[in-house]
Amino acid sequence: MPTIPARLRASAADAWIAVVDLRALLRFRVAGLRGRSRRLSAYGTGVIGLMTVLVAWLPAHLPQEMARRDDVFTLLPSALVGILVIGVVSAAASGGGRELVPRDQAVAYPVSPTTDHLGALVMAPLNIAWLLQAWVLLGATAFVTGPGPGLVLSQLMLLVWLATATALSQVVGWGLEWLRRGRRGVWSTRLVTVLAGLVAAYLVADDRLVPALEASPTTEVTIASLGAAHGLSWFYVRVLAVLLVIMLSAVVAGAWLASAVSRRPARDETRLESSAYQPRANPGSDLLAMVRVDRVAIWRSVPLRRGLAVLAVMPGLVAIAGDLQWNMLTILPGLVASGGALLFGVNAWSLDGRGALWRDSLPVEPRLVFLSRCWVLVEVLLVATLGTLVMAALRAGLPSASELAAVCAGGVVVVAQVVSASMRWSVRRPFSVDLRSARATPAPPLVMVGYSARLALSTTFVGIFFSVLARVPWEWSVLCALPLLLFSAWRLVRTANAWADADTRCRVVATVAS
Amino acid sequence: MHVPGPLPVVDVRSLYVRFGEVDAVRGIDFAVEPGAATALLGRNGAGKSTTMRVLAGVIPPSDGLVSVCGHDIRTETLTVKRLTGYCPDVGGLVPRSTPWEHLQLAARLRRLDGWEERARELLERFELGAVAHRVTAGFSHGMGRRLSVVLAAFHEPPVLLLDEPFDGVDPVGVEATMDVIADARARGAAVLVSTHLRELAVQACQDAIVLRGGSAVAVLPAADMHGEAGAGVYRGLLD
Repeated sequence: MPTIPARLRASAADAWIAVVDLRALLRFRVAGLRGRSRRLSAYGTGVIGLMTVLVAWLPAHLPQEMARRDDVFTLLPSALVGILVIGVVSAAASGGGRELVPRDQAVAYPVSPTTDHLGALVMAPLNIAWLLQAWVLLGATAFVTGPGPGLVLSQLMLLVWLATATALSQVVGWGLEWLRRGRRGVWSTRLVTVLAGLVAAYLVADDRLVPALEASPTTEVTIASLGAAHGLSWFYVRVLAVLLVIMLSAVVAGAWLASAVSRRPARDETRLESSAYQPRANPGSDLLAMVRVDRVAIWRSVPLRRGLAVLAVMPGLVAIAGDLQWNMLTILPGLVASGGALLFGVNAWSLDGRGALWRDSLPVEPRLVFLSRCWVLVEVLLVATLGTLVMAALRAGLPSASELAAVCAGGVVVVAQVVSASMRWSVRRPFSVDLRSARATPAPPLVMVGYSARLALSTTFVGIFFSVLARVPWEWSVLCALPLLLFSAWRLVRTANAWADADTRCRVVATVAS
Repeated sequence: MHVPGPLPVVDVRSLYVRFGEVDAVRGIDFAVEPGAATALLGRNGAGKSTTMRVLAGVIPPSDGLVSVCGHDIRTETLTVKRLTGYCPDVGGLVPRSTPWEHLQLAARLRRLDGWEERARELLERFELGAVAHRVTAGFSHGMGRRLSVVLAAFHEPPVLLLDEPFDGVDPVGVEATMDVIADARARGAAVLVSTHLRELAVQACQDAIVLRGGSAVAVLPAADMHGEAGAGVYRGLLD
């Protein structure tokens, strides 16, 4: 039986091999980028790096009003918890985190679970929600700390917290995936999720959320980080050391859990793939026939179903916890619709997978095929948005006619906007992806960051616009929605025309079916 | 006195297909008459699947004339799609739909009535009856190939295009595919089979076209490539 030092040596050797393999996979991924994709990836990485440096430095030079500074300081511990929550939700919803190399491509290589885990950690920041929250934290820290040499120490602490929170999120993500893959795993995971929701609801209902956040260890992290403005202290060093220990332990625990997950079959995926479905009556129209096929492509997919459920529920819970009023609920549809599109909509033709070739050989007008895909996308996004709004309305109470009109009109406008953008991107830049895995994304990670940033920007703008309209007579919301809807419709028609072009369609179909 | 043969169902003249800088197909000419089966043979990248995709209306030809039953594929794509049944070389199945749902979609778009009995019979013949209502994502490669052949053949098209129909298929599936080809020929359909399996091509078809680098290097009776001698002939055409 190996001694403990021998085991430690073996584990260290395994970890080193995993790091070497991770570098090889990163090179493989980068080598796969060609021409325009390579240039865009380089620009994307550069923009993210530049933005990070700017937000971590510029706010320090803003005018320092004591009251505003104190406000930001008070909110920082909760914002630090926020990145942990974002990380946990992302890791849990994506079945343990994103893949560095898609499963179908990596199958030929001996990629160990530890390498897979490290890859998921590297990929975690390539998520717009994570990036935005990290930028908010960096900017807020810079604002509170102010200019000076202490800023570097403050931001160093924050970066270590970001790494620690990400590693901890990954542990929770793998843990939930391990649970999900066990016997009655789906029900166990649902139970855990419901319990977490009930705890959150109790904290909110009993006004204990704020005291709980104030009592969180992130307060010490904030104090240590901001205290560095006055120079290095033992407290700072101690907090930094504790964070580093937690981070390293979480990375090791994550690797161990990733290994445990890899030994369990993905039960819900295999169950769905071996399930029988009762045949339905023959469809009454061509459009209905296609809508049916497109619809089941979403609802029979474990990751898409799970992702849509998370999208419908999470913003609703946030609205309940944050006591959002109707005039603020106009922001939510944009969030849900963008999230839904990022699950599959931005590469909508990939739902057909390798069946795209066969489908394109069927005698049907290409514009009808396009309409069917749009229909299903609209349907799915509206259902998820409606779910969120119903949840949010539980605490927001009864709306006025203006508020209701603003939320409804804003919702319809962002759904049309998101569908129009998604279909445009789907035709312009198709990708061959296997969306069977919860860890797959419809486009490469950097492309996803670009898509999500653009969607977040445009839908948030529309949300804020309709939030203002919630304060004026309801007719204004309807009137303002009309030109926006017409603009989205015009862009959709243009994309439909592009899809109807045989050369364009051939490129899309050949790509997604390859 | 020269007696003219029947008009070809598939007529390909000077077909070119270009993908950017690459010429996937370079000036191919061939015709397939009703009731005839022609094999497209050649190494990987020879242009077989691209030619099949053009005939299925999935890839537009860059140059040349391609007609199916007298319809120009460039201008009457939809009509050509109605006249063909296509088994693609890769996958060919929508992952989260069942075989029956594939058949329902195809039947609806092809305006078929009373198709259910034939569909059931074909599924049984290809030993897919038991999995008719299971999603195809869980299918083995061979099952997927067999279902693709069913989907190509079940509406009894005048032109049957089978791209790698025998790839990874067990003997029962091969036999069923051979029956489908024979049935199609018997009712006067033109059949094109693209495959790497020379002996099966010889068995299924009467003519063979050998492609190399996007061009046709030989058009010969399939029987000429039978057995050891045929293997030598074929090998010689590939280099």
